[in-house]
Amino acid sequence: MLVGTASVEALAASAPTISAWREQAVELRGVTCLQVTAEMRRAAREAVLPPALHPTIPAAISIQAWRVRDGDLGAFDFVCCRVSCRSGVRARGFTTGACASTERASSGLAGIFGFPTRTATIDFRQGYDGADLRVEVKGKTILALGATSPEPMGPDDVQYTSTLNLAHTPNGLRLVQVEAHHLASKIDRLTAHLDSFDGEAFGDARLRPYHVVSASIASEDISLPGVRFVCRPDELAFTGTEPVSRA
Amino acid sequence: MKFGIFFELSTPRPFSRENEWRVYHNALEQCRLADELGFDHVWAVEHHFLEEYSHSSSPEVFLSAVAAQTRRIRLGHGAVVCVPEMNHPIRVAERAAALDIISGGRLELGTARSSTWTELGGFGVNPDDTKITWEEFVRVLPQMWMSEEFEWRGKSFSMPARNVLPKPLQDPHPPLWVTVTSPGTELDAARRGLGCLGVSAAGYEEQERRTKEYHRVIQQCEPVGGVVNDQVHTMNFLYCHEDYRVARDIGVPMVTAFNVANAHLYWTREAFPTRAYQTLGNAGAAMKAKSRPADDPSAAKGLPEGVGVGDPEHLIATIKRWESIGVTGINFLLNAMEMVPQEQVLESLRLFAREVMPKFRDPGDRSRVYAPTTVPGFVSDPTC
Repeated sequence: MLVGTASVEALAASAPTISAWREQAVELRGVTCLQVTAEMRRAAREAVLPPALHPTIPAAISIQAWRVRDGDLGAFDFVCCRVSCRSGVRARGFTTGACASTERASSGLAGIFGFPTRTATIDFRQGYDGADLRVEVKGKTILALGATSPEPMGPDDVQYTSTLNLAHTPNGLRLVQVEAHHLASKIDRLTAHLDSFDGEAFGDARLRPYHVVSASIASEDISLPGVRFVCRPDELAFTGTEPVSRA
Repeated sequence: MKFGIFFELSTPRPFSRENEWRVYHNALEQCRLADELGFDHVWAVEHHFLEEYSHSSSPEVFLSAVAAQTRRIRLGHGAVVCVPEMNHPIRVAERAAALDIISGGRLELGTARSSTWTELGGFGVNPDDTKITWEEFVRVLPQMWMSEEFEWRGKSFSMPARNVLPKPLQDPHPPLWVTVTSPGTELDAARRGLGCLGVSAAGYEEQERRTKEYHRVIQQCEPVGGVVNDQVHTMNFLYCHEDYRVARDIGVPMVTAFNVANAHLYWTREAFPTRAYQTLGNAGAAMKAKSRPADDPSAAKGLPEGVGVGDPEHLIATIKRWESIGVTGINFLLNAMEMVPQEQVLESLRLFAREVMPKFRDPGDRSRVYAPTTVPGFVSDPTC
């Protein structure tokens, strides 16, 4: 059985802090959500995950980009890179890096849900025949991709897995389970191409996506409920998972 | 009630040539013993690239060896993945017929479409198409076997008129099955007159619902072949020991390891948005199988509901429950990642055959072979 081998101490050094658990959901309205899935080289499949998690075979990442028009964190763009993994037997994505276009969104997503977010310039454009995404930090492009040829799909035809973010929390250093509810009104499957991806900028230089599998783009609202479960990063989820206590 | 054994040929890390050799040869030894003990079937799956979980990518080769080393046990070639990028339908028909001949008419052929992106992506298969190609395969295979001049103009392949050779020994052809993972696939099987080969460990309630529906629908089936196969088999695990505590301590970790390895597969739906795959593999069913009513006597023994892990008394009760809900056969996985030493696997088989199997059949029943119903007036149409 494969398990993650990343150093928890090393990951903890850049992990954000959640100082208190928030009970209310964060609502994001009028969201355009682009999800691109790509296989990555197997050399890093265990090395980028903490010991609580298991990689998939083949190793894969999903890149999610949100253009949020309104909501509890205002209007903003957001991009995150998640490594596909298993927590026990459950399908999850472990966030290695994330960017937001506003300081409010960046600090909100980090402080409430533990996304390892920093601010960046995000250019996310959706056109009639596809979408383009470019992310720049201090003038350097860290991600560029395009997606074309939309095909209509049903709202249930796209799988979004829950996210795990490593953060310093009131429970200690934990993997924080973020269960985003996507309420899509329109969704298309796309054919995507990845033009540029800087693994180091998304948390680990060993992240090397090489084979884009699929993409989807949805018009939706996203609800991010208060965190319910966390998991110790150095212990398998079967025994390391615990409920969040807001008392 | 029929009893079979079922092989994924799961292989533990660290991988080595010797490990794979050992897994294959342990499995062959288990087949020889199962044959002697009166088990009815041995099934070998087809999977590709599924590290640890299954190293059984050429089941027809494995089953050829089983055919040569056994006398009466039937050979379950299943399931063949029915997408042309992996298996051209002509080659499936040819290989299956040859296996039926050399085994003396002991072949059962399972059909499937694969549920992991690991496999579909590896062969460059468009997941949208697999249900379509599966449908085409199950319709053409019987015709290839029954016709001396078969031609086809289809969606996934076409061919001019040819005589596909050899023909299987069983007349008109071996029983056909469909592996059932996703809810609703049992109805696809029933409508076409195909056997229902459960490959996920569904709980009693879920299996009862599926089985009832299957038996209801198959009464009005439109058979795709020359025989109707109305059997419902499920997959289960087997570790039998006189002391339930020993059985539990050895068997439960084996079951857990298999389910965990299964959950780590990269499911098609997770990688590729599609209407053709509506569930994340069979992890959901496996998890449902864990729930059980509070009055279940196995609970006190710490044994999972419905699973073939325990002492003979527990296994008899468990199988009777499966039988009562319409299941006609159970195929047992005997090991996972070689967690159980080979001698204990063999001893478990012997104990099961000695203490449990006789409760479900008459002494003369072992030689009886299931005879599928021949479809009256079936005429193959080579040009449809």
